[in-house]
Amino acid sequence: MALSLSQSLIRASLPISQGAEAKVYKAQLSETSLPILLKYRFQKHYRHPSLDNNLTRTRIAGEARALLKCLRSGVNVPGIRMVDAAEGVLGIEWIEGQSLRKLLGGTEEEGDDLDVEATDTELENPLKDYGVSVEELMKLVGIEIAKMHKIDVIHGDLTTSNMMLRRPKSVESTLAAELVLIDFGLSYQSTLTEDKAVDLYVLERAFSSTHPDSEPMFATVLVAYANVMDKDWPAIRNRLEDG
Amino acid sequence: MPGKTRHSPLKNADRDYLALGLEGSANKFGAGIMKHSKDGSTTVLSNIRHTYITPPGEGFQPRDTALHHREWALKVIDECLVKSGVSMHEIDCICFTKGPGMGAPLQSVALIARTLSLLFNRPLVGVNHCVGHIEMGREITGAQNPVVLYVSGGNTQVIAYSRQCYRIFGETLDIAVGNCLDRFARIIDLSNDPSPGYNIEQEAKKGKRLVSLPYATKGMDISLSGILSAVEAHTLDKKFRSKGASDNSLEEDIITPQDLCFSLQETVFAMLVEITERAMAHIGSKEVLMVGGVGSNERLQQMMAIMAQERQGQVFAMDERFCIDNGIMIAQAGLLSYRMGYETPLAKTTCTQRFRTDEVHVAWRA
Repeated sequence: MALSLSQSLIRASLPISQGAEAKVYKAQLSETSLPILLKYRFQKHYRHPSLDNNLTRTRIAGEARALLKCLRSGVNVPGIRMVDAAEGVLGIEWIEGQSLRKLLGGTEEEGDDLDVEATDTELENPLKDYGVSVEELMKLVGIEIAKMHKIDVIHGDLTTSNMMLRRPKSVESTLAAELVLIDFGLSYQSTLTEDKAVDLYVLERAFSSTHPDSEPMFATVLVAYANVMDKDWPAIRNRLEDG
Repeated sequence: MPGKTRHSPLKNADRDYLALGLEGSANKFGAGIMKHSKDGSTTVLSNIRHTYITPPGEGFQPRDTALHHREWALKVIDECLVKSGVSMHEIDCICFTKGPGMGAPLQSVALIARTLSLLFNRPLVGVNHCVGHIEMGREITGAQNPVVLYVSGGNTQVIAYSRQCYRIFGETLDIAVGNCLDRFARIIDLSNDPSPGYNIEQEAKKGKRLVSLPYATKGMDISLSGILSAVEAHTLDKKFRSKGASDNSLEEDIITPQDLCFSLQETVFAMLVEITERAMAHIGSKEVLMVGGVGSNERLQQMMAIMAQERQGQVFAMDERFCIDNGIMIAQAGLLSYRMGYETPLAKTTCTQRFRTDEVHVAWRA
């Protein structure tokens, strides 16, 4: 059987990581083009085949739709490069940069809930390369989340691993640092205050479990978030404080 | 965690210990006697259960279930003692289910436990039902660091151990998976003997058309009530044949009760396997332990095995003796905490319908 285009693209790509849901590859659409990131939702053999097909298709389409909505409204997310919902493949812009978890010297992802051991606390400040302070970075986080919530997109899995700081073109670059939200695999659309508050709550939990003494950091995120959300903020704050 | 050994806070038994476990949080009354020997071995001396079975189309009401437990308790405990060859005077502690579960049945069992405690002057140990399931599962299967899927008529949780606590990673946001299956069994008039879930499983084997049902996972949580409504709606469809397909029928475009059982299982179990896999990926465990009544479903075990195999992992499942509510699991968890010096004073032997798994201090593990 001949391989589909998506499948042969995957064959020629470099595997990056594998999660529970998907495999991630670094690929190139043509020899001269910029690299892209392929997210392949592989088949789950435990599921009934037609159920599996349907789920994969709707999830890929849903993720692409959320990204598109964000792109149109100027939320910093990776651009879409290709969508093959039937095959379960989504191709997005390759972001040169570093995840916030690493930048903030967070603990390792694997087994972070069992036996946490600080690994690289002595790492020298990796933020210097990006020309931002922790405080500024937290402001960027708050602003991006608020921009996303303004258009009723709920991320569903806000953690510091799902945020990246784009590497500036040069060290002396005058361009402001850009924070990019990634992995919209669990995202959905909702206008509910509750859902937005839950999104923030998930992030707060992620902060406290991966970054020690994160309380002032998260407070900065909220201040910036509140500024953008403006009149929508009090309702969300109430919901968040209710727990 | 692999590669790390920690000393268990539980000291080796200085003598043989015996515990009587009493369970009655739902429609089963169970009694079991567990022995922890000086040589470190653990023996199930007896494990007796009696189930309250209601007519087709009916669930079990708290009041009637409590009556059932009161009627059967002494017979079951008697049989349990005779079978084990142990007398009440040799027992070290009496363990009972403190919760979670149905109020009235829990109370009647707690009352029996208190009476025995006063009659024979033995200490009481209140046990969390879910922790009982997990500890018994780990004892029977020998799983080392499993992600636990606890699925029963009243509970649906994905659990993993961390720092002396069984943490809940995901759970149902509304009804339990067993409850969803049982209620659908009632809708299509399946028998409650031996259990509605077992009969759904048998019917599902004859189903072949997959009807579309909602699929509701939210991170590591799931929602089931909407699926129950959706599958019930299919029984009102014009295409639904409550008697099944007639033998000489050429009709293709129909839905039979068997198809609905099949579709319900396929959808709901896929959701359970998905959240379990997510938890495994999250904590980096390669083992799954299934406990609770629904855990004895062979299709669920099969799906879980495929998932685990694809991750180079392993599934630990048990048969109905230990999966479905039983007294021995209460004895096991109770005896572990008794050996750590824990007793429940009489004034605190109340029970509670709400008692989350993560509220228990798991003192006996490192």
